Amino acid sequence: MVHKVYLTSQGLEEARVELSFLKTSKRAQVSDRIQRAREFGDVVENAEYDAALDEQTLVENRIIYLEDVLKNAKVIATDPNNDFVVIGSTVKVEMDGEVDILTIVGRVEANPAKKKISNESPLGSALLGAKKGEVVEVATPIVRYKCKILEIK
Amino acid sequence: MNDKPLVTFDAKLPKLSDNERKVLDLLLEAGRLIVPIYEEQENYKFPGANFYPHGVLKSEIEKAAKENPEILSPYTVVEKIDNKLVATPYHKKYAKLLKPVVEKLLVAAEVTSNKNFAECLKVQAKALLDGSYDEATICWMSVKPYILDINIGPVERYDDKLFFVKTAYQAWVGVIDKKNSQKLNKYKDVILSTRRKVAMASEKFDYYGKVQTRIDNTLLFAGLIARTKFVGVNLPNDPKLMEKYGSEITLFKEMHKLRFETALWPTFNRIFSPEFKKQFSAIDLERGSLYLTALHELAHTYLRYRDSEKRLQDLFPVIDELAASVMGIKMCGSLLLKDIASTQQLESIMLAFITRAYNFVLNEEDKPERGQYVIGGAVLLNFLLESGAIKRAGGVSWPNFMKMFVSFDELMSILGRVLSRGKRSDAEALIKKYGSFTNLRSFN
Repeated sequence: MVHKVYLTSQGLEEARVELSFLKTSKRAQVSDRIQRAREFGDVVENAEYDAALDEQTLVENRIIYLEDVLKNAKVIATDPNNDFVVIGSTVKVEMDGEVDILTIVGRVEANPAKKKISNESPLGSALLGAKKGEVVEVATPIVRYKCKILEIK
Repeated sequence: MNDKPLVTFDAKLPKLSDNERKVLDLLLEAGRLIVPIYEEQENYKFPGANFYPHGVLKSEIEKAAKENPEILSPYTVVEKIDNKLVATPYHKKYAKLLKPVVEKLLVAAEVTSNKNFAECLKVQAKALLDGSYDEATICWMSVKPYILDINIGPVERYDDKLFFVKTAYQAWVGVIDKKNSQKLNKYKDVILSTRRKVAMASEKFDYYGKVQTRIDNTLLFAGLIARTKFVGVNLPNDPKLMEKYGSEITLFKEMHKLRFETALWPTFNRIFSPEFKKQFSAIDLERGSLYLTALHELAHTYLRYRDSEKRLQDLFPVIDELAASVMGIKMCGSLLLKDIASTQQLESIMLAFITRAYNFVLNEEDKPERGQYVIGGAVLLNFLLESGAIKRAGGVSWPNFMKMFVSFDELMSILGRVLSRGKRSDAEALIKKYGSFTNLRSFN
């Protein structure tokens, strides 16, 4: 089954730029690193060679991942409706005495440091469709909280 | 206690320059020289250790402090001379023992090629000589980024079980783990960017934006910290300094590993049933314990009230330290709902907390220096037993994580009330209700 990957247009562009960089520049850089490491001598006891191979694996895995994301991407509206929460909404919520401002994004764009949470997270999925002032229940097998939507932007 | 208050670690260090190695050796020598000073202060036979004259009533000290506030200064030794209580500043009382420490620090300041660090070492040396400890703490917090780390002087108050006022000498020396410090700082930013509603907001210190974190490859603990074996600290202790300059959270990697291997993992294996234990590996629990330490120290940021130490007196650390761990777990619950933490991580953190509490309670007689944590551990375990979150069946406990999380929520409401506006009698009533060890020893 094809799993849709929700992205904002900015997220889609970022994924394209990253994929292009990995394919056109990074691959070549890693290849050079492997070549230089080979020149250090015996590859069996060569830590730099091992590190370079590890980096190559990471880069190739990331390329496969991003290609899959772009293939299944569904771009969401950049101007979200303020009446209820959709992917792309920035929401001010109160939960367990915490007041937080979060943006609901697709899983690929989730970035806690930038206050972007996935629509697939327990909180993200509970908020989708909720209106300002509404109280929704957010639950996992361990944690269960009520969350009030204070504002939708 | 027969063993020296000194712990050294064979930490794996990042590459250091020749200059850094020379300076590091001098710092280690300075750190070791704290041991005899702390030995003058420690005495577990008396709740006031050697900070106060033995046999003098608490009320007598309080009365003398009204006339002379220096009696209850964090940095004086109280003695009875000519039937009168007299306070002598630490830097005068221990001047002879402090001299070689100061000399080592000043030589290190001469040798180091890092000017800021040299200045910091000079300020720390000066503080040992004249008692200007606040300046030394502020200077220590401001030196970054730098690879070597030393904190030396009278800092923690856990040995003063009479008033929780007097500080004991200690030192730690380490090398900063830059990569993991950066990771911890990112984690800190995510957590502290959330505003938490607090009781008595007007009495709450707000310094969320001024909290820094670091992870040390620990090489040496001397003095009180070698006894308490802390895996994390949050300095300064003075809330007024914290409000003005922020705080610095330090996690000690090697001490965490040592405590996990020698205390937590054996206790975990002792208290949980074989069927339950196999769901969690040593790595799960070790990580859970490290996350708990980080969350505990970060949670302190949400719990600092202007006068809670004054209101709760000697019982403040029992309530404050327990509350920090409970709040830390609640914060992790919020991270779980945002997909920043996983269910397995939260479970491991809760298990690490319970295991720590059992470890304190079951070994309490061996840990006089950690009395406040032992009582806090007992309060936690009795609270969880009463709510049915943990059960005993033939000496084996089986936790119900959902009930446990609800219990943490309830316990935090109680602890939050006591910390924000409670009196000593409120803390005492809570400890009287839940602090008994009798019920807990049947886990043996």
